[in-house]
Amino acid sequence: MAKARCGRILGEDIYIEAGDTATLYFINQLRAIQVMLAALKALDQDICHDGCSLPSTVNKVIKRLDKLRNDLEASDVASEKKESLLSKIDSFLADANRLPQDTSQTCRKSAGECVIGAGCFATGALNLIGITEPKAPKI
Amino acid sequence: MQTEVLENQIRGLNIVLGALQSATGEICKSCIGLEGAKTKVGKMVMKISMDLDAASICCEKTKADYQARINSLSKAAEALGVAEECECQKTAGNCKLGEACFINAEIDLMKLVK
Repeated sequence: MAKARCGRILGEDIYIEAGDTATLYFINQLRAIQVMLAALKALDQDICHDGCSLPSTVNKVIKRLDKLRNDLEASDVASEKKESLLSKIDSFLADANRLPQDTSQTCRKSAGECVIGAGCFATGALNLIGITEPKAPKI
Repeated sequence: MQTEVLENQIRGLNIVLGALQSATGEICKSCIGLEGAKTKVGKMVMKISMDLDAASICCEKTKADYQARINSLSKAAEALGVAEECECQKTAGNCKLGEACFINAEIDLMKLVK
């Protein structure tokens, strides 16, 4: 069956067979995480580095990646593709683990430093993952 | 313009540019979405620079610090790598993300700034 390009993750073009929604789910999740991690790295250079929302978001991303890893291992995604995607999950996990994870620090809004309004950059970045389709396949 | 507003916009743009930079390594590099975002962010940076010029900031050092940060944003926006010929990657059949678009969602992070 013909394969079509559907993304580029960590510098590698990713191809998929038409109609393979299970694989597409994992690919699009990783595409979103790639973008989100870039936003979180930028946040780490901001005052968010000393707050609690960034670490909280990082912890959620790590959990998400762990879950994706488990779901991918249990899925019927083709083994070669599975290995390729698992290695990317590991790479993103390593990236995420380099970001702050200590949630005991004070929110920068509560500390009076962050005055952007009601929104939160870390939460906004996390929402990037929620826009992807298709939804998770039943494993 | 109050320094608080400048500060917030600079913070927001820094994050947006970080995310857009990542998108340049994706298929978005050849997408009109990223091409448009680059233009949009460039205009945002230019507006902040003009707002800084018009702001009544007494302390020259503070103003110079803001200008340096804005210059850095401007360079980052200019450096966003976009292919010479772009087309929407959904229309091209490459992006199968669904209705949403990473680039638009990244630009929307600026809406968090009040």
